[in-house]
Amino acid sequence: MAEEKKMAGFVCTGCGIGERLDAGQLETTATRDGKMNTCVQHEMLCSKEGVQVIRDTIDNDGATHIMIAACSRRAKVEAFHFPEVAMTRANLREGVIWVRPDTDENKETTQEMADDYIRMACAEAKFSTKPTKSGEQELDKTIMVVGGGITGMTAAMEAAAAGYPVHLVEKGGALGGRIAEYYKVLPTRSPYAAPQESSIAEMAAAIEADDKIAVHLNSTLAQTSGAPGRFSVDVATESGSTSNFTCGAIVQATGFTPYDANKLPEFGYDKSADVVTNHELEALAKAANGGPIKRPSDGKEITSVAFVQNAGQCSDEEGKLAYFSGVTDLVSIKQAMYFKELNGDCDTTVLFNNLRTPGAAGEDFYRAGQEAMVLFSKGIVSEVVPGDSLTVKFKDLILNEDTEMDCDLVVLAVGMEPNSGPDPYYATEGEGAPEPGEEANPNAVPEISVDSILNLDYRQGTDLPQLKYGFNDSHFICFPYETRRTGIYAAGPVRRPMDIQQARDDAAGATMKAIQAAENAGKGMAAHPRAGDLSYPSFRKEGCTQCKRCTVECPFGAINEDEKRYPLFNEARCRRCGTCMGACPVRVISFENYSIDTVGQQIKNVEIPEEWDEKPRILVLACENDAYPALDQAAMNGVEINPWARVIPVRCLGSVSLSWITDSLNNGYDGIVLMGCQRGEDYQCHFVRGSAMANERMSKVGDTLQTLNLEPERVVVHEVAITDIERAPKLINDMAETVEKIGMSPFKF
Amino acid sequence: MTEVIATNETILVVGGGISGMTAALEAAETGKKVVLVEKRPYVGGRVTQLYKYFPKLCHPTCGLEINQRRAKMNPNLTIITMAEVTDIKGEAGNYTATVKIAPRYINDNCTGCGDCGKAVEAEFDDEYNYGMGKRKGAYLPHRMAMPQQYVIDPAIIGTDDAQKAKDVCKVNAVDLDMQEETIEFNAGAVVWATGWQPYDANKIQPYGYDRFENVITSVEFERLADPTGPTGGKILRPSDGKEVKNVAFIQCAGSRDKNHLLHCSRICCMASLKQCTYPADDVDISVYYIDIRAIDRFEDFYQKVKAQENVSFIKSKVASIVKGEDDSPVLHGVDTEGYNRYANQHDLVVLAVGMEPSVDKESFPVDIVINEEGFIEPASENGGIFAAGCSSDALDVNRAVQHATGAALRAVQVINRVAGTEG
Amino acid sequence: MSTNSQKYRNSFLKEVEANVEEGEWVKMCMQCGVCAGSCPLGKHWDHPPQEIFMMIRAGKRDEVLTSDSMWMCTSCYNCIARCPRGLPITHIMHGLAVYSKRLGLMPDNQPTAEFGQIFWDNLMKKGRVNELKMGLSMYFKDGFSQGIKNAMANQKLGQNMMKAKRMNAMEIMGGHGVKSPGDLAKIIKKAQEIEDGNIQDFS
Repeated sequence: MAEEKKMAGFVCTGCGIGERLDAGQLETTATRDGKMNTCVQHEMLCSKEGVQVIRDTIDNDGATHIMIAACSRRAKVEAFHFPEVAMTRANLREGVIWVRPDTDENKETTQEMADDYIRMACAEAKFSTKPTKSGEQELDKTIMVVGGGITGMTAAMEAAAAGYPVHLVEKGGALGGRIAEYYKVLPTRSPYAAPQESSIAEMAAAIEADDKIAVHLNSTLAQTSGAPGRFSVDVATESGSTSNFTCGAIVQATGFTPYDANKLPEFGYDKSADVVTNHELEALAKAANGGPIKRPSDGKEITSVAFVQNAGQCSDEEGKLAYFSGVTDLVSIKQAMYFKELNGDCDTTVLFNNLRTPGAAGEDFYRAGQEAMVLFSKGIVSEVVPGDSLTVKFKDLILNEDTEMDCDLVVLAVGMEPNSGPDPYYATEGEGAPEPGEEANPNAVPEISVDSILNLDYRQGTDLPQLKYGFNDSHFICFPYETRRTGIYAAGPVRRPMDIQQARDDAAGATMKAIQAAENAGKGMAAHPRAGDLSYPSFRKEGCTQCKRCTVECPFGAINEDEKRYPLFNEARCRRCGTCMGACPVRVISFENYSIDTVGQQIKNVEIPEEWDEKPRILVLACENDAYPALDQAAMNGVEINPWARVIPVRCLGSVSLSWITDSLNNGYDGIVLMGCQRGEDYQCHFVRGSAMANERMSKVGDTLQTLNLEPERVVVHEVAITDIERAPKLINDMAETVEKIGMSPFKF
Repeated sequence: MTEVIATNETILVVGGGISGMTAALEAAETGKKVVLVEKRPYVGGRVTQLYKYFPKLCHPTCGLEINQRRAKMNPNLTIITMAEVTDIKGEAGNYTATVKIAPRYINDNCTGCGDCGKAVEAEFDDEYNYGMGKRKGAYLPHRMAMPQQYVIDPAIIGTDDAQKAKDVCKVNAVDLDMQEETIEFNAGAVVWATGWQPYDANKIQPYGYDRFENVITSVEFERLADPTGPTGGKILRPSDGKEVKNVAFIQCAGSRDKNHLLHCSRICCMASLKQCTYPADDVDISVYYIDIRAIDRFEDFYQKVKAQENVSFIKSKVASIVKGEDDSPVLHGVDTEGYNRYANQHDLVVLAVGMEPSVDKESFPVDIVINEEGFIEPASENGGIFAAGCSSDALDVNRAVQHATGAALRAVQVINRVAGTEG
Repeated sequence: MSTNSQKYRNSFLKEVEANVEEGEWVKMCMQCGVCAGSCPLGKHWDHPPQEIFMMIRAGKRDEVLTSDSMWMCTSCYNCIARCPRGLPITHIMHGLAVYSKRLGLMPDNQPTAEFGQIFWDNLMKKGRVNELKMGLSMYFKDGFSQGIKNAMANQKLGQNMMKAKRMNAMEIMGGHGVKSPGDLAKIIKKAQEIEDGNIQDFS
């Protein structure tokens, strides 16, 4: 480090800190043990005056590293905003005085706690540097949109309208996608009363005329490399020619494929031409050219139609879709209205179980269908018997009887299957994943292997990871555009089944995120959830053993391997969770302000009392996203936490290095509690796999404990939710009890 | 005096619930200046009052923590709480907004230490818990409230209580002379994200919400199930505090009904299915429904709840509720699957109340297209004003956030046009 | 008899739309059942309103028109007040009853139908209802000895009504009427002609 470190400490005595603790002692600890060049007290550090004191120290005294001992790092964030220096915070309020009873007998241990937090924050500061841009940044404002259907076209137009150039890549020979084959679409504006013409032709014309949008037809992606802000894309056309362009971010809008009705023999799709899917009906209606819709088998004008809802959907049977395709009930109503419009007196009956027409538009359209005299029956169809007239056998649930009806045509409301590429994690966490206890089969391939869409040259696979049923969706309720491949956002029915209006809104949302990713990549800032973070993992090549753990474990596929098989970090793909740091067995990966040392030195700087003092030490590594806020809230509620505990927030449990655990045990800590987010199918880990990774790594801690001859109960991993306000402190206190039971660690020096 | 630095390149976001926060953050994280105006004393909106989200059964505060952190870290975002937009004039790219800010009587010095709350004696119905339970006259609206600052109820201003709050505050955060203020500032585009309110269950006369203590609403049930709620997470009967052993959910309480809300509120089916997972396994649960609207992958969750042995589904819109023995509500109606008449007694009845848009159709500050149901239409006539989330339709959280992200882009487009950065 | 070709088709629904008062609302029912649950006489119905609507859609013409159910309606209007789709259910029930009577499909000895007929016949005599005769006609509709029994059972009620001047014994002599019953008859006849003219033949 060229620049000389100048370290300044600040101790706040407000909010009762001054009354409960010996602030003079804290100051001494900061300067004597914490090696702060200066340390001052202030009665209210977050006040204007207090902040000014800090500001002056930075501006006038040239402080480069500051340690603020006050409240939790989650509080007064706006006041303590000094991005020009390395800053750490010692949590004396929520971390100490609010979790300890205000009694004389506790005074000593409470003060010890506070002193330790000061030492920890000082050590952290000492080993931190202020995050700065790496210089790797590039800003390419171009957005690539993959897929030229309504979602992709919308995304392209929205991006262009925001001033961003677009490359729109479409596999087929024309824009428009499936909608181009539709007779009409659902209404998009009130009153939601009748099917309307789609605007696809005008959109295609507008795109054609927009000089911001370059359209690549008959084109696929041969390779996509790079990172947000500097993607490089090789496009191959059907004719064999290739071209290359660059872009800053990507929207994948590859749409869906209708479910194959041949898998539904019970509905006679393979036996009768007059059993059609909802998608085929669109073609029939379009072919009618304004006249009556004709029967495929004999060209006879259709006078009666039955719609079989949820054909091959909402089913737990093998080969059928388990989910509901979102829009198929509305589509059947729309199509029944086609017949009312084109075939005059045609009877249309919709056989449904639960009619799912949500929202204002949905319910309005349902009523409009009824008004148009579309018949609705809550009936479960068991069979369609082919013949000159088709017989539909079903159970009418209202009249509670098995019955049947005849009609000229049967429309099967089949669902949508996403056009996603192969799942990079098929063998480890997708459908090819092993049962618990089984080893993952790295060679497992999806039964029906699909072509890659993006052809990413990422170490971790060619395409976006899938959530479930092949959809490239986010797992987060609050963050639908969370992506596991930074800068690449799925939109439309490849993300989740949806109707046109939703797909268009979704295209706008995904485009927003793509624009944002490109812009932030240009500034060297992280994407969600550590948005704006400038810190970035650097790695010491000399120490690397090429074990590949970091490249394999990165939840975002951010790390490639270079030609010499060293990890190749891609800043703009990185989400700054530190899972690579936790993975690295030789500790060569670190961030400026979050490293093996910034945490390791905190652990080392806690004073470990001699065994006979009977003051154990419990290390708590708490995920800053959920566990740490839970502890903060517990403090607000005045829930007591054992005085032996020393809590260190971590970016993600996935960033926890085993070395911290072994060092702590060697240094005489008596117990270690790790708190991360929920893992597994319904994971809550904000970095997707961090918590799961940590759990896997910690399962190997047993060996270390055995070597040290320590009891396995000394290290525990817990899933903690942000609402675990009572439970989180209890888990710590439980460890204190465990230590009391099994005795102190013999490793105290 | 609240100062807002804003120009024609600023985006005004009205409403700080999950949709408004999302729109504001997405725009701010793209480098745009954003002013967020929120009526309540804190951001986060209605989702802060939910215990869990469907279908993951995860906690809304988890995402709230992330969003609040994003907000705290982002210098592009200005948040004004306890404020309402009273007027908007102008056109896309050049609006002037008038905002009325109610006095909090607490300034930014507040450290959230809680001394004033302890000192004040007066108690009020706690709106955070929908009136179940009390809060003090000086209060932190909820534990994770952002800003983490107390509020003084205007009702105690001028009383000894207010003085006590002032006297006890060591950081000089209590300002009893604070006045309502009205400010004006510029904006190039507006994102309207005023969200929704639970339909007033008192209006559904046959269900006797106003007459029977053990008939509650779905939003109240969330508070009962929440460990930080008024019962500490125990599902107890309001009438006698006894543990509930038999609970009924009535779907479409106010929705899909021309006497109440014409639209389907979309979320209530899933919300009730979620709430079916709150009570213990030995609690009998009945869901009275017209159609279970489990959209897309939510079907999984529906199947999971259906498989719960303690849950049964009855296809019926309940006709009426009468008071049975022990204050237990008795539901009358007909199961329409095969015509079975019932009179079922339950310990507790939860009305899955609909989503009423919080869009004031009568006095919307600017000319805008609002549909029959009260939602803002995606109309080009709306100029630079874009609805986000539940002011556009009844939406679940995931879809609201999705919609709000798109709304942010539309606002950004206007700003970029103004800034002339296009081309 | 309904064949497959009529089931779940619009034929009967269209007949109801054409010939039954407010019949055009039947298609709007969404089978929530709040009408069935709200009916104070509900348990006496073989088929509650929403089920009748479903039967109409299913094409169960005979079953609907010969049903006893719609005759059970007492016009309390609970169903109309609560129907989320705003169906005028009371009116539809009466409409269906009237239509079934017109077609002669109503069940035999249906008391409401009999009462209606007696009321109508009574009314048409003088243009006003003769309550005494009306009561007596009801008592004696099932024969003389049953009539005496009915009269004895309700003796006290009758006396009280007379005391309260709610009924006049002199009405037995013929009672009061409109000024020109003949003109009334003409009006009714014309109205019936119009109504008959509107009826479409679906048989």
